[in-house]
Amino acid sequence: MESSPLKNESVTPRPRTEGRNRTVTRYVTGFTPLAVLSVLLIAAFIMMNAAAQNSALFGRLYSVLLLVNILGVVLLIALILLNLFHFAEQYRARVVGTRLTLRLLVMFVVLAVVPVSVVFYFSIQALNRGIDNWFDVRIERALDDALLLGRTALDAQRQDLVKTAQEIAVELETLPVRQKPGADPSELSLLNALREQYSITELTLFTQDRRILASSSEASLEAGSLVPDRPSDAMIAQVRQGLTYSNLDAIGKAGLRLRVVVPVQARDVGAPLRVLQVLQALPPRYAKLGESVQSAFAEYEKLVYLRGPLKFGFTLTLSLIALLTLLIAVWAAIFFARRLATPIRELAEATHAVAQGDYQKQIPVTSHDEIGILVESFNDMTHRIHRAQVQSKRSQQEAEIQRAYLETVLGHLSSGVLTFNQRLLLRTHNPAAAQILGADLRAGERKPLAWLAENYPALQPLIEAVEQAAAAGQDEWQVQIQLSVNNHRRTLMLRGTSLPSWREKRGGYVVVFDDITTLIQAQREAAWGEVARRMAHEIKNPLTPIKLSAERIRHKYLRQVPEDERAALERATRTIIEQVDSLKTMVNDFSEYARSAQMQSRPVDLNDLIHDVVELYKNSRGGAGVVPLHRGSKTGKGKTTRAVTTKLDLDENLPRIPADPGRLRQVLHNLLLNARDALTNSPRPVIRLGTRLVGENNHRSVELTVQDNGPGFPDALLARLYEPYVTHKEKGTGLGLAIVKRIVEEHGGTIRAYNLKEGGACIIIRLPVSAAVGAAESPAVSNPARGETQA
Amino acid sequence: MRNCAKIKWYRWTAAALALAGLGNALADFKVTEMQPRFVEQSLVLTGNLELGLNAKVEEALAKGIPLEVVIEVNLYRERRFLWDRKTADWTLHRRIQYHALTGQYLVNTMEPEVESGDSLLTLQEALKQLGALNGVALKLEEPATPDAVHSVDLRVSLDIEALPTPLRPVAYTSFTWHLNSGWSTWKVAP
Repeated sequence: MESSPLKNESVTPRPRTEGRNRTVTRYVTGFTPLAVLSVLLIAAFIMMNAAAQNSALFGRLYSVLLLVNILGVVLLIALILLNLFHFAEQYRARVVGTRLTLRLLVMFVVLAVVPVSVVFYFSIQALNRGIDNWFDVRIERALDDALLLGRTALDAQRQDLVKTAQEIAVELETLPVRQKPGADPSELSLLNALREQYSITELTLFTQDRRILASSSEASLEAGSLVPDRPSDAMIAQVRQGLTYSNLDAIGKAGLRLRVVVPVQARDVGAPLRVLQVLQALPPRYAKLGESVQSAFAEYEKLVYLRGPLKFGFTLTLSLIALLTLLIAVWAAIFFARRLATPIRELAEATHAVAQGDYQKQIPVTSHDEIGILVESFNDMTHRIHRAQVQSKRSQQEAEIQRAYLETVLGHLSSGVLTFNQRLLLRTHNPAAAQILGADLRAGERKPLAWLAENYPALQPLIEAVEQAAAAGQDEWQVQIQLSVNNHRRTLMLRGTSLPSWREKRGGYVVVFDDITTLIQAQREAAWGEVARRMAHEIKNPLTPIKLSAERIRHKYLRQVPEDERAALERATRTIIEQVDSLKTMVNDFSEYARSAQMQSRPVDLNDLIHDVVELYKNSRGGAGVVPLHRGSKTGKGKTTRAVTTKLDLDENLPRIPADPGRLRQVLHNLLLNARDALTNSPRPVIRLGTRLVGENNHRSVELTVQDNGPGFPDALLARLYEPYVTHKEKGTGLGLAIVKRIVEEHGGTIRAYNLKEGGACIIIRLPVSAAVGAAESPAVSNPARGETQA
Repeated sequence: MRNCAKIKWYRWTAAALALAGLGNALADFKVTEMQPRFVEQSLVLTGNLELGLNAKVEEALAKGIPLEVVIEVNLYRERRFLWDRKTADWTLHRRIQYHALTGQYLVNTMEPEVESGDSLLTLQEALKQLGALNGVALKLEEPATPDAVHSVDLRVSLDIEALPTPLRPVAYTSFTWHLNSGWSTWKVAP
């Protein structure tokens, strides 16, 4: 089957007018009109043929029948042309089945035309020869001779009658001449006597002006006509000249009669001429023979004359019949070719429809032959395909639903999920995975692990873990790894499982991982909190008696001990007291760290608070604009005091935030002290404090930035920056940032710290403007950072 | 191009019409004289029809083919503001035939009876006889309105349908056989 564009006429719904057009087309090109027309034409031809043979019944209708037939043939031609035109349109439109129809059509037409043409040719020949054979020269001569013989015989009769008439005229000359017509018994009796004597049918005596003087006739002559037949003016004129007129008259069905008109001379001088007309009916035998010869000759002559028209008529009839036969054959060819090709065309259209995806296509079964069986098989096939397709679609939908379900579940998981195929190409991932790993995993789909390693070197531990597990062929595995994503250390717990295999092939792997950094940190913080609480409880209590005891010893025994030992005692007790104070300070710090949150929240203007704290330091040490923060050594070694410049960059439109001002003051205090300590060795120490409003609508926060231009946080401490007792300072407790973080989290805020590119550390704290206090957000880590410091 | 085709078409038509006209002029039927008048309950026609035959038709007649002429008569009552009203119509048939044995032409006027006829020696006489309307009385179903003006439309033509069947197709398709006087109008004498 050629892949030609198909005209699908049956499927598309059509407007009403088009439907009407189709109905008209069906009436014009369908079976019924042509069949009816053909039958009518055949009947008309039969009648015309009968008429041509001089049938009395159809003779009168011949012309009408001929016209009807010609019109019928023209109509038939028009209908067939319409059919052919319709077919040609379909052929041009490459409607399926038209080529087959054309082939069948040509075959049928050839099969019909050739024999009909042959028969027509020979029929015409036979007809012409047959008509010509009717005529023979000998018959023609015989008829001519018969006619001549008849004329001769009748001529002899005529001559006899002329002689008789002249004799009667001579006898009538004796009659006296009368000018007035009327019954004269003597004339009548003479005429009667003469008529009987000569056995004449009718004797009439006329005046010159054709008035009847007397007449005698047989009763049987021309029954119904009482008036004698008058001679014409031409006859009278001939008689006036003394000549005799004689002729054989044909009188329609009455047969033939002889007419002789002779002058009757008057004996009297000057008397007018009279005219005698003698009519003599031919004897029946003569009349019959003469009529027979006449009719035979006339018929033959007529036939000879009609030979041409007869041939023309028969040829016309035969041609029309041949044409009709041909047209009916062509029409039948069109009809049957279409009928044969229709199921094949439908089948082809349906096959095309199936190829286009219409599996519901069904073809009406119109026959029970081989094509019918084929159509039934086709219908069965499409039915099965349709059923299979429906099932497949249903399965696909179910799979889609499952996939959507899985995607939703995966999308809302806080754990990261990655799946790999057996060649360790990344297949799927969820948003949490991308967020935890800080990588654009969408770009890495269908890419190998090497691509991830190349583009995200920080994920190397993860990649190695997966590769090792895959290489080992472990079905279930679990490992904890450390990643440094965007300079932020993260601890991930990886759990891997191999996917079910299919057809002896491994099904790949799914790796689920959780960011347990916060968890570990919280665990550590909880442990440290407990340690701090116990330390505060266990150590602080004995410190007061120790200090009091040391002061008592000093007070009581300092003056009692010898002079040389007094200094030693004084130094010892002072050391004890100082160390106890130092211990107390440390224990207080721990106590502060371990103390549970008891916030007294109220609207606080952070800028005011900053001003207060900075002012406090300024007032305590003096110097406008410059906060001479210094960490003076109490050892008295004369350490150089450096003025630390404090620069404020505060947002004047900062809203108030719900906070405990005392605890925020502690935060500022801790941060300033940390900065000051970090700037101990800086040549031009500067601390920058800034505030601004970030976020929109309900997620607005106040951001506090504290920067210094010191050495920054050591890299080694970045991971444990906020853990208690983590410090790089000689005398630090390591609780400063831990307390800051706790207070910030108590306020529902976040803290992050990083090293600046140009040197120095930066701590950014964000406190929500309206958020519920205590609802701690997860620490923001996505901003670029160079490292974390520890307090 | 199209105009040329049109002109050609017109030319051909004109030529055909001219030929037909020429044929009619040479031999055709004509109503030369007619004097219709009312006599009692009849319309009486007196006049002459000139019946000219062409060679082809004469030959057919000589070969024994009977010819029939049809005389169609329509009687109209004239009206001043409306078209004339046809009050009656008649169709007369007359036949001429050659009688080979006697060498005469038999003219049957079918008046007053069907078989009435004359036999004439020459064709001219026969045609004259055939075309002679000597007081042919046509019966009126209703008497004519006395004061009204009447007219008679008359046409004489060769009846092709009366020809032998084989000759009819030829006659219908040939101008030679279309002998027709066309309608002529004659006032009825009051």
